Amino acid sequence: MLITKLKSSNELDEFFSKKLFVFKCFGCSEVYFPEEEINNFASGKQEKISGIAQIDYLCNEDFAKRYIEKNVDRIHNCEGIIVFSCGVGVQVVARLLENKAVYPGCNTFYLNGFQGLTVLECDCGQCGQCYLNHTGGICPITSCAKGLLNGPCGGAKNKKCEVHPEVDCGWISIYERLKKINEGSTLKKKGVLIRNFEKIIKGI
Amino acid sequence: MIDYTKYQIKAEEELRQLLDSVSDILVLWCKKCYKTFEKEEESECEKILKILDVSDKLKGCEAIDFLCNRYLTEKKISSLFGSGYGIGVISCGLGIQTVSKIAESKGVKVFALADTKPQSGNATSIRGYHGITLGTEKCAGCGQCYLGITGGFCPVVDCAKSLINGPCGGAKDGKCEVNSEKACVWVEIFKRMQKQERNLDVISQIRDNNVFTFEENRKISTFSLSRRTENFYGGLHPYENKHITENLAIEKFPASKYLYIFLLQHTGSPASLCVKEGEIVKLGQKIGESSGLISIPVHSPVSGKVVTIEEKFHPALLINCPAVVIQNDFQEEKDSSIKGYPEWELMQSDDLTEIIREKGIAGLGGAMFPTHVKLRKPKNPVDTLIINGCECEPYLNADNRLMIERAEQIFEGIKIARKILSVDNVIIGIEDNKSQAIEQMKKLTERESWIELKELKTKYPQGAEKMLIKTTTGRQVPEGGLPLDVGVVVLNVGTVFAIYQAIVNGMPLIKRVITISGLFEKPGNFEISIGTPLKDILDYCGGGKINDKESYCLRMGGPMMGIIQTEFDTAVIKGTTGYTLININPIDVSEENICIKCGRCVDVCPMELYPLYYAYYGKNQLWDKCAEYKVKNCIECGCCEYVCSSKISIVSLIKKAKKNAYNKT
Amino acid sequence: MEKKNLSQKLKEGKFVITSEIGPPKGTNIEPHLKEAEHIKDEVDAFNVTDLQSSVMRLGSLATCRLLVERELEPVFQITCRDRNRLALQSDLLSAYVLGVKNVLCLTGDHTTLGDHPDAKPVFDLDSVSLLKVATELMNGKDMKGNELDGKPEFFLGAVVSPGYEPLELQIIKMEKKIEAGARFFQTQAVYDLLSFEKFMKAVEKYNVPILGGIVLLKSAGMAKYMNEKVAGVTVPEKYIKMMAAAKKEERAKVSVQIAAELIKGMKGLCQGIHIMPLGWEKYVPDVLEASRI
Ligand code: SF4
Ligand code: SF4
Ligand code: SF4
Ligand code: SF4
Repeated sequence: MLITKLKSSNELDEFFSKKLFVFKCFGCSEVYFPEEEINNFASGKQEKISGIAQIDYLCNEDFAKRYIEKNVDRIHNCEGIIVFSCGVGVQVVARLLENKAVYPGCNTFYLNGFQGLTVLECDCGQCGQCYLNHTGGICPITSCAKGLLNGPCGGAKNKKCEVHPEVDCGWISIYERLKKINEGSTLKKKGVLIRNFEKIIKGI
Repeated sequence: MIDYTKYQIKAEEELRQLLDSVSDILVLWCKKCYKTFEKEEESECEKILKILDVSDKLKGCEAIDFLCNRYLTEKKISSLFGSGYGIGVISCGLGIQTVSKIAESKGVKVFALADTKPQSGNATSIRGYHGITLGTEKCAGCGQCYLGITGGFCPVVDCAKSLINGPCGGAKDGKCEVNSEKACVWVEIFKRMQKQERNLDVISQIRDNNVFTFEENRKISTFSLSRRTENFYGGLHPYENKHITENLAIEKFPASKYLYIFLLQHTGSPASLCVKEGEIVKLGQKIGESSGLISIPVHSPVSGKVVTIEEKFHPALLINCPAVVIQNDFQEEKDSSIKGYPEWELMQSDDLTEIIREKGIAGLGGAMFPTHVKLRKPKNPVDTLIINGCECEPYLNADNRLMIERAEQIFEGIKIARKILSVDNVIIGIEDNKSQAIEQMKKLTERESWIELKELKTKYPQGAEKMLIKTTTGRQVPEGGLPLDVGVVVLNVGTVFAIYQAIVNGMPLIKRVITISGLFEKPGNFEISIGTPLKDILDYCGGGKINDKESYCLRMGGPMMGIIQTEFDTAVIKGTTGYTLININPIDVSEENICIKCGRCVDVCPMELYPLYYAYYGKNQLWDKCAEYKVKNCIECGCCEYVCSSKISIVSLIKKAKKNAYNKT
Repeated sequence: MEKKNLSQKLKEGKFVITSEIGPPKGTNIEPHLKEAEHIKDEVDAFNVTDLQSSVMRLGSLATCRLLVERELEPVFQITCRDRNRLALQSDLLSAYVLGVKNVLCLTGDHTTLGDHPDAKPVFDLDSVSLLKVATELMNGKDMKGNELDGKPEFFLGAVVSPGYEPLELQIIKMEKKIEAGARFFQTQAVYDLLSFEKFMKAVEKYNVPILGGIVLLKSAGMAKYMNEKVAGVTVPEKYIKMMAAAKKEERAKVSVQIAAELIKGMKGLCQGIHIMPLGWEKYVPDVLEASRI
């Protein structure tokens, strides 16, 4: 799941040295969206804004096209476009308006869970070679800060991760889960696991 | 469109090894997400069976939607654990982890039968997200978007080395050294920048890989997750726009010259006319008599003359219905039947209920169910009366203002209802975005032990009966059941106010408070006579924009559940909570759009339904299938349609499905 | 007669002593080498840390080579934090040609713990897979099975944390490390002989030499800090009290006394000790002197 935060005002000021047309995408706002910050910022830049379009799901090319059609004159007259959306929305607009400079107004981050049902408690490292059979169904790649596959490092203290002291060590959770399902001993039997990053490039 | 299906069945050899060690296995498979919804089932189990000869081990196979939705998945699969079989899961890693988590406490082993496909195709930046629709662009969420200096191409995902300072030396003929099929993104960047006559920025960028800390991710995820199940599962937080009318005191709407009083203003059978054309009527005089058990009378809101009885366009039923047209003589001459009972405490419950019926009181929250039916000696014992002060619908403030300005009367009305039902406990639920109302009501409830005011976290549709009961009492109204089944009666604050008016002042339900909001020039909260023509409201409140049907849309009620008004020769009814005038979205919501299985509708449906099936089967007119997916449980709250990433008009399909699936005669 | 190396000494059952050098942040390596030379008669080998605590420093391999040139025996610590599998294998080959044979394979602290938290963590391999890869190199093949032109020889080591919770998990991993090729272990600092003994009993069956870790306590505050923050370390109350009671100028003496007590206790339990002086190199001779039976 992608979420966004407003870029620093220095960066934004630089973009706004030109007169810009603004796209604001609120599609994912139910999860997280820096709406207020964007509105506050935009209200301070009135004279630099040639128009604003508020839209849902800018990442949908079809919708984006229709918004662009609707605002074609105003877009034509601006010197550039700023898009407040995740990186995907910005790229869609940049592709559809190839001849205009398109700037991202936000930085994009991800939350647990990729395009599943919005945010989740667990996460998937998209590794292409699911290890869950070895780990009692807890993803070692995302629940271990180092993404270790062969057991924990020595850093956990009071069962907490050495990197994030308030987070449970993924490998201790894995071990406890395995014991619960009577698989505690299998950890020893597994061979040495090594990731194959080529799977990612090849899409498995 | 692109198919983003995230998993693929594991390699044969690995599966064999895995399944060799198990005796009995049940397979769950996720029906996948992010693909055009074209056919419902694609059996992954068959594939497994084909690959391996495990039919003797396979004890069952179940397809589940959105396996990663823990809340719903848990409800569906917990019954499977009793068997002691192992569970094999075919889904992406999220689904497998969710099932494993659920199975943990049962000591059941879960097998991953599929591998998750990496989405970025880039080993340096493994994660790749494609947004909420099916497009080609991807983003890795690097936290320091470079698109401003790269002409809108993502160097993080699209450069195999995630280089951000220009290309490496490996590209040959503009193709990436890693994959000769793929254009080197840096070459693309260069070309596009040239086209725009921009220079490639020379500042050297250094990626901060720790820019979004684990802690922060966790904080936001937890926040977002907790909102999903806060108060009740699903729901959402639409733009409220309550501020437009929040602080506008209730104003008396100027009396109209003509009023149209529909004979059917409630759920049930219409009132039967009891006046004649040309007859002189007084304010509060009964003009239609109740015609059955679930029926209530209607009264004249003014004194004057019955001009005619004719068909008018009903604002809720959206068909022509008989209405009594009364010409106001502006004398406000009261009918002799208007006689209050301030000493109601000495009266019998049955007599009070009868007055409530006689005064034509129906639920004012919009449902218009005759109130006396709810209050009449119920079959099941009732132990709790809940007063609904949520008004979760955006824009509306009628109930809010009523609580602020007429708290005492509401409180007295509550006491009357409590006496009728002879219940000990009363809960009044108000959303926490209405601090003034809470303050006013608190002054009265504070001193009493029998009533509890609950401030509820604002979330739509908190005001729906079932949600409100769940939040305030923790009780779950059974599927297809009524509040009574869990010993609860719910009354809206407006209704309670009307009860007060009826009992203490003897006043029938001829006026109510409504909110006029949105793009009206003069928005406000008005005490208005039932029967006031919509045209008078449009004139008085400056609703001229409505004539531009291309750009504006008028709803009776709020933007979520409000009914779209296309004919303006209509009038206020008992269930009118207000009128909202809003912009029409440039992207029309349509029944024709194709569902992409993003699952957002499932995420927000407070009734825990799977609205995407109404979108899919509705479009294909397979009404029985809609019934299979329990379309009758839908409360038409509109959450699914509000978030639908394909902008499918799910609610209208639902309405059709309800009509066609259950009324087959 | 040729001088015996670490592996031979362990084979012969000598109670070995290793110490540690932390290369400087910068190029000023000379004082560290001097320290080492100063105690070379007491110490059998010197571990050289690899950007310890993820802090950018002078490299481990170069320092190891300098030790070789001075006829001191190094133990090359190599972590997976900063190198992918290519660099790791290549560095192992380099180590061999530079005369460095003892290699201690570690996963490494996470990048965010050091002074460059914004760095990209690599973790392409981990300690177990690194050991396996090193073993394969010794067999004349790289990890993809390609033939090597000239193969290295290593004496591979790994670490284990006897105070780790849950201990079984640590032991499982230890077993894996042995399977992957670890021939000796050095442990996290030990302060509690009783639980160390329990640990040693549990791993006796593997029959690999274990060098118990010794960290000199510098103050009661440091002890408390370690109890709170450092994984697998618990300093017993009595040592904290001893340190707290000591006057500032006597602290080193008390610390040496505690270390000596621990070493004496370990002599019957494990096959050697690994001293991590953390800046107090100058007291190492005192410790060894005091612990002589
Ligand atoms: S993200 Fe959820 S819905 Fe999509 S495949 Fe995975 S488990 Fe199924
Ligand atoms: S550069 Fe922009 S589009 Fe690319 S990963 Fe970073 S935020 Fe996403
Ligand atoms: S309208 Fe019906 S299906 Fe849609 S979210 Fe509301 S209850 Fe669920
Ligand atoms: S929100 Fe719309 S597109 Fe997404 S699954 Fe539901 S109906 Fe389909």
